[in-house]
Amino acid sequence: MSTLALQNVSYQYEGSNKIIFKDISMSFEAGKVYTIVGRSGAGKTTLLNLLAGLDVATAGRIVYDGVSLAETNRNHYRARKAGIVFQGFNLLTNATALDNILLSMHISGIKGVNKKARALDLLKKVGISPEKANRKILKLSGGEQQRIGIARALAHNPELIIADEPTGSLDENTANTILEILASLAHDEGKCVIVVTHSKEVTPIADEIWSIDDGVFTEVSQ
Amino acid sequence: MYILTNAMKNLLRNKGRNILIAAVTLVIIVSTVVTLTIGNASSKIIEDTRLRIGSKVNIDVDLAERGRLEKTGGMPEVGIDDFFSYAQSDYLSKSIFSVQLYLYSSTTFAVGDDSKGQSEWESWDGSSKSKAATIMLIGSSDPDILSDFFTGGARGIMPGGRMFGGLNECIISYDLAELNGISVGDMIVTTSIFVEPEQTFELSVVGVYSDKTEAWPGPAYEDANFFLFNRRNEVITSLETVMSRGFETDQGMEMHAEYYLKNPDNISKFEAEVRAKGLHPDYSVSINQEELDEITAPLSGMAGITSTFMFIILILGGIVLILLSFIAVRERKYEVGVLRAMGMEKAKVAAGILAEAIIISVICLFIGLGIGSAAAQPIADSILSGQVEIAAEETKAKSEDLKFLVMNGKTQFIAGLHGYTPISEIQVELDAKTIAQISMIALALAALSGVIGIAVITKYEPLKILRERN
Repeated sequence: MSTLALQNVSYQYEGSNKIIFKDISMSFEAGKVYTIVGRSGAGKTTLLNLLAGLDVATAGRIVYDGVSLAETNRNHYRARKAGIVFQGFNLLTNATALDNILLSMHISGIKGVNKKARALDLLKKVGISPEKANRKILKLSGGEQQRIGIARALAHNPELIIADEPTGSLDENTANTILEILASLAHDEGKCVIVVTHSKEVTPIADEIWSIDDGVFTEVSQ
Repeated sequence: MYILTNAMKNLLRNKGRNILIAAVTLVIIVSTVVTLTIGNASSKIIEDTRLRIGSKVNIDVDLAERGRLEKTGGMPEVGIDDFFSYAQSDYLSKSIFSVQLYLYSSTTFAVGDDSKGQSEWESWDGSSKSKAATIMLIGSSDPDILSDFFTGGARGIMPGGRMFGGLNECIISYDLAELNGISVGDMIVTTSIFVEPEQTFELSVVGVYSDKTEAWPGPAYEDANFFLFNRRNEVITSLETVMSRGFETDQGMEMHAEYYLKNPDNISKFEAEVRAKGLHPDYSVSINQEELDEITAPLSGMAGITSTFMFIILILGGIVLILLSFIAVRERKYEVGVLRAMGMEKAKVAAGILAEAIIISVICLFIGLGIGSAAAQPIADSILSGQVEIAAEETKAKSEDLKFLVMNGKTQFIAGLHGYTPISEIQVELDAKTIAQISMIALALAALSGVIGIAVITKYEPLKILRERN
């Protein structure tokens, strides 16, 4: 059964004639890694925003667990169901790495876990030491910020992980570690992982690869 | 709970901006503490004074009306029995009577009178002359109140003497005693004028008092050599001593009655009662608003200054705070976008911003209460001293005004009695009412500051904010 599905989705920016997507349908299942590739400006980030519930389709429906995102509380969806890794990281720059993770957990309202221990554990998994965990984001490198963004997306143990260029700022070793984590989340923990990227680094862990070009989605055979 | 925790962390994360907002808030709160503390203390004292002094009833013909009536010879008299009859009222807490009689003496000379009792007064139309009165005999039912002998007052019986008690006992000033070589136990002999036949008072001096009051009611009296208005020339005795001679008010004796209401609000009821007892319609019955205003003038002036200051500070401070909050929230737009992208509800983001504003206000409230309460007393003293000087100038100017009346021979209008001095000290303390008012203002400031933030954040969707930033 699909976790997330696009049903005849079309999208165009307000006040613009350019159609980004037209009548696309596809579904994403739990336990799989999906990679969506495409050139810059093809609409990858727009798709991610739609999947993350940050934007609303011009036509059609995006359905999560049988409920249209347009008809549900999208804040709740983002806070509890989806973990989002932004291309621009979108971290609270004057807060520490640890506070960024903790705040995400608080917003999601997760209970029954030692939040600080879990946050430090997640940071450790993405290669951020406890010492760096207490540094402000602005005092960390771009790669470190990206890893913190990934840790934050996983902090509330979401069923769906949506990542926009998650390895874009990382060195090869760290990128591989992150990809292993994402693959493990899908294959071992049954999460649905959707990665939007222009990089082919991600494709080895993908169960399905889709290409986006001129608003048309095509499955790419591996 | 995490909203509060995050709000507190945010305050520390953005020290510069929050210190600026806190500084403005603190200035507003300190100013408000000072002004409200002073204002409330002033109001309380003014109200206490109103109850204490404002309860004093005046039964008199106003000066303009009196002039008109005297010219037409129709000045209605209030008899001595009437004065005592009005005192029999349930609305009154007490009544004090005093009489004044103008005297001359060929053996006891007035302070300043170099003619040694030989000076004469000419009648207003110049048709006749009479002995000039140089000594004021005051018969008082309560000298403690009427003549500044109350505790801490400007007059005090000197060692070896006492306050008069029995009939024909009197006290005199040290200056008068020294000039005439009078000691306790001596007799003084004085004669009343305006009374036919002349009445002689032989009074036993039982006390000599020191006197720190102003000798003259105003320079006009001194210039005109009206020695009997020099307070050093007062001979103070009991009401009974004077009344025992059977004078009436139309025989050169002026009687003053002071009636004190239990509650100043009962003035109209008391007036109705005295009217029913026959008080002439030309007389007005009123509480002494003018005197009350004179006494409380420095405080009223100070309260006015502080209220105006508080108003200006609140308006200007409020505008600055709104601008700062507006700028601060615009700076934080990205932060708001991130929080919203993480799924935080608008209401919770707003609650966080409001919590920050409240925390700043509460901290400033405590600091402001401390600084403000410490600063209030010296500031109050400083403002009040300025107001007292202004009040003193006004009082002096009023004394000058009396010159006209004296020179027209209408001295009976303003003779003898001295009023209260304006309030020149104030004890300002932070009370529960003031703290409650300041807390409300602090909360209003927090709300004002928070609402701006809330208004701004509700305008934007997270994606729009993040797109703009990226």
